[in-house]
Amino acid sequence: MNVESFSHKLLEAGKRFGYADMELYYERVKTFGCQIFQSEIDKYESSEVSGVSFRGVFEGKMGYAFTEKIAEDSIPFLLENAKENAQIIEDEEAEDIFSGSERYREQTYYSSELQQVSIQDQVRLLLDIERLILAYDARVTGTNRCMLESSEKERTILNSKGLDLKDLQNSLTLYISVIVKSEGQTKTGTYIKITKDFHSLHPEDIARQAAEEALRQLGSRSIRSRAYPVLLRNDMAAALIQTFSPVFSAENTQRGHSLLRDKVGASIGASALNIVDDPNLPDGVCSRNFDGEGFATQRLQIVENGTLLSLLHNRKTAKKDNTESTGHAHKSSYKGSVTVAPSNLYVEPADKSYEELVSSMDEGVIITHLAGLHSGANTISGNFSLAARGYYVEKGQIQFPVNQMTIAGNFYDVLHSIQDVGSDLEFSHPTAASGCIGSPSLLIKELSVTVE
Amino acid sequence: MLEKSIVEEVLGLALSSGGDFSEIFAEDRRTNNITLESGRVEKSLSGRDFGVGVRVFKGFTSTYTYTTDSSREGLLKAARNAAEAMSGSPSVRPQPFAAEPISPLHAIRWYPTQVAKSDKVGVMKQAYEIAKNYHAAIQQVMVYYFDEEQNVFIANSEGKWIEDQRVRSRLMIHSTATDGHKVESGSYGPGAHKGFEFMKHLDLRHYAGEASRIAVTMLGAAPCPSGKFPVVIDNEFGGVIFHEACGHGLEATSVAKHNSVFSDRIGEKVAPDLVTYIDDGTLQNEWGSITIDDEGEKTRRNVLIEQGILKGYLIDRFNSRRMGMAPTGSSRRQSYRFAPTSRMTNTFIAPGESTPEEILGSTEYGIYAKYMGGGQVNTTTGDYNFAVKEGYLIENGKIGAPIKGATLIGNGPKTLQLVDMIGNNLAHGAGMCGSLSGSIPVNVGQPMLRVSEMTVGGTKGDE
Repeated sequence: MNVESFSHKLLEAGKRFGYADMELYYERVKTFGCQIFQSEIDKYESSEVSGVSFRGVFEGKMGYAFTEKIAEDSIPFLLENAKENAQIIEDEEAEDIFSGSERYREQTYYSSELQQVSIQDQVRLLLDIERLILAYDARVTGTNRCMLESSEKERTILNSKGLDLKDLQNSLTLYISVIVKSEGQTKTGTYIKITKDFHSLHPEDIARQAAEEALRQLGSRSIRSRAYPVLLRNDMAAALIQTFSPVFSAENTQRGHSLLRDKVGASIGASALNIVDDPNLPDGVCSRNFDGEGFATQRLQIVENGTLLSLLHNRKTAKKDNTESTGHAHKSSYKGSVTVAPSNLYVEPADKSYEELVSSMDEGVIITHLAGLHSGANTISGNFSLAARGYYVEKGQIQFPVNQMTIAGNFYDVLHSIQDVGSDLEFSHPTAASGCIGSPSLLIKELSVTVE
Repeated sequence: MLEKSIVEEVLGLALSSGGDFSEIFAEDRRTNNITLESGRVEKSLSGRDFGVGVRVFKGFTSTYTYTTDSSREGLLKAARNAAEAMSGSPSVRPQPFAAEPISPLHAIRWYPTQVAKSDKVGVMKQAYEIAKNYHAAIQQVMVYYFDEEQNVFIANSEGKWIEDQRVRSRLMIHSTATDGHKVESGSYGPGAHKGFEFMKHLDLRHYAGEASRIAVTMLGAAPCPSGKFPVVIDNEFGGVIFHEACGHGLEATSVAKHNSVFSDRIGEKVAPDLVTYIDDGTLQNEWGSITIDDEGEKTRRNVLIEQGILKGYLIDRFNSRRMGMAPTGSSRRQSYRFAPTSRMTNTFIAPGESTPEEILGSTEYGIYAKYMGGGQVNTTTGDYNFAVKEGYLIENGKIGAPIKGATLIGNGPKTLQLVDMIGNNLAHGAGMCGSLSGSIPVNVGQPMLRVSEMTVGGTKGDE
C-alpha cells in the first residue's frame, strides 16, 4: 500500500471514528554506510525505511500513535491507540492541529550533487584515507573506524486543516578513528565530518588530521590537579553546548528543568557571547523551511552580547508564555511526539584564530576531547564533571599532551566566564534529540582540572 | 511473520553474488511510552515498529540491508542490495529449513497490550505520590513508563528457522529537589523482562522513595574533592564500572580485530584471584535476559573471568570467523535497523566473602559511591569514565558527609588489578547500553567492592 492511499484511508476512517482534527507526519529515510578495515570492505549497509506518525484530537484532547507498517491492519491500531492515549492525557494546555503559517521559504537543502556520488567513489575515498593513515607515521598501528554514512530524508506533514508540506534533506558523515602506539602508550584520535559537499573531502587532509589527532597525544604526562584557564577547541565547545542546549528550550524552563526560567532580558553570559539559531543556513545539516508542526522557520537571536533575548518555542510552549512560536517544534522522527529543539544553533564567531587564542594563553589547558557527556553533565543544575584529553600550554606554546583528566564546572558559570571567542566556527555531529550545534573555540577563565 | 517461499527466495538471492551465508531478521514490535509530569499525564505514545533486515557474509566481509517494506518486491530489493557489495558466482545454496521450537526461559503472565493504559497510569501516580511526598524540598517529580512486546523471526541459509518474543517493562522515577538556590536530582529505573505483573509487584515505596532521597541528600552535599583515593562502590547498579572498564573490552566487536586491551589474552591473569566476571542471559526474567539472541542462538552463562584468569569473550557469528572461536549466544541489536553484534546481557561480578561493614570499616579515608550514573569506555586504550550519582566521604571506616559532582576516571585493565575486597551482597540493576548495534537493555551487577585507588575528578580541587 502506498503512503498516499494509506493517508487517505486513515483520515477517512479517523473521521468516522470520532476524531475532530487529525495530522499525519510521514518520513522516508534512505541510507548507505560502509566501513573499511585493512583495505577490505568490512561492513556495507543500506536501508530504506518509512513510517507514519498519526495524531488527532479526540474529545478535545490530542492522542498520538505511530506505525512502520503502512498497511490496512495498522489503521485500527493507530486510531484505537491514539484514542486511548488522548483519553489519559491530563495536560492543561490543549494541543491543536496547525492550519499553517502565512508563507514559507522555498530554499532547498538537498544536494543533488551529493545524491549522485557513486558508491564506488565513496568506497574509494575510504580506501584512500585508510591507506594514507597507515602510511602517515610508523607509530600508526591501525584504524578502529574508517567509515561513512550518507543519508537522505523526506518529510511530509499533511493534516485535516489543509496543511500539506514536504521537504528533502541529505548529508554525508565521515567517521575515522586512528590507533597509535609508542613506548607502551596507546592512544586513539577521532575525525568526524558531516557535509553535503563530497568534493570538499580531501583524503590527504583527512588522513593527516586524523593521524595527527592521535599522534599528538603520545608522550602524555600528568600535571598538577587544580583550576586552570581552559581553551575549549571548537568541536569540544560545540559538544559541551550541545549537551546543555536543552536549557534554551521553553519546554524545559516551563517544567523547571532549566535555570533560564524568567531570564529573558537578563545577562546570562559574558559580553563576548552571541548565540543564534539559523534554520535556513544553506549548508546546514539541520536546515528546514518548516518545523515539526509545520510552522515556518526563521533566524532567531538567542543571546546578544551576553543578554538572553529569546528561548526556543513551539506553538504549545509559546501559548503558555504568551508569545509566538519561534519555529522550533521538533520531532526526533515519526516515533517522537512534538518537543522543542534547535535547528542550527551556534555561537557566533569573532576574530581570533585558534592559533591566536593559544598564543594569548599564559598558562592553561586545551581540551580536544570530552567523554561521558551523557552521564557526567547535569542539565538541570548545570554542573558537569567530564573525562577529557588535551594539551598543557605555557607562555602561549603547547608544551605536551596531558594524561586522561576530568574538567569540572558549571555550564551557567562557563557562559559568564568566556574571555575570548575564536573565529573557527565548527558544527558538531547532530543527534536525533539535539539538532545541530556549532561553536568556535572558546577561552574560559578557569575550570577545575583533575589529572590521572 | 513471513512466508516460507519468500524467505527461501530472499536467502537465495542474497547469496547470488558469491556470499557464503545469508540471514533474514524480521521484527514486529509494539511499544508504549507514558510521561507523567507534576502528577499529570503529559505524554502518551504508542507505536508499532515493523521491519526486516537481510545480512550476507562472504569471508570477512559482511553486508546488511534493512527495510520497512515487507512485500516480496521490497524484500527482494533488500536482498539484491545486500548481495551487491560482493562479486562472484553463487557458491552456496540455502539449506532446507529445520524449524526449532523454543522453550521460553522467561514466562510472561500479563501482556502489556492486554492492559488498559489507565491501569498503567495508576501505577505511575502511586509512584508520583510517594516520590512527591517524600520531603518538602521535592520540587518536581517525573515518572516515565515503558513497555514493549517484540516479536522476532530469524532464518538463515544454514536452515535456521526460529521465532521468539521479548516482553519488557520499565518504570523510571526522576525527582528534583531545591532549597531555593540549588537544584539537585535523583532517579531510579527498575525494569524486567516481564509484563504488567512486574509493575504490580514493584516495591514503589522503595524505588520512588530512593529517587527523592537521592535528590534531597545531594542538596546537602559538598563538592567532591579531587585526587586519588580508595573507592568503595556499592552493589547493584555499581556494576556499571566493570561493564565499562571490562565488559565492553571483552566484546568480539573490539577483540576480533586485536584492538581491545583484552585481545589475545585468554588464559592470562588479568585480575586478582577474588574477581570472577560473568555474563548470563538466562537469569530468570531479568531486564537484560533473552531466550535466544538476535542470530537465533540460545543464550547461556558465559564465564569471562574466573578467579582472575581471562576465560572467554562475548562472540557473535561474524566475529567468530575472524577469531576462530564459537559464538556465545551474545549477538544483539536494538532493532532490525542494526546488524547484530556481540553485546552484553546481564553481566556481573560474582559475590565474595566480605560483609559491607568489613569493607567500609577497613577503609580509613576514601569515597563511597552508593549510586552510580552512566559511563563510557575507549576499548582500545581502556580509558573509562563514569559519574557518581550519590557519593559520600569515608572517614575512619565510617560513611561521612555526602559529596556531589564526582566523576571517576581510569584505565580498565589497571582498575581491575586494583580490586582488593569483594562483598557478599550481589545485586543487579537495569540500564540501557549503547554501542555499535544500538541501544539495548542490559543488567549490570556486583556486590559491594573496593578499588584500592581510583582517580576522582570533582569540583572542589586538589586535596
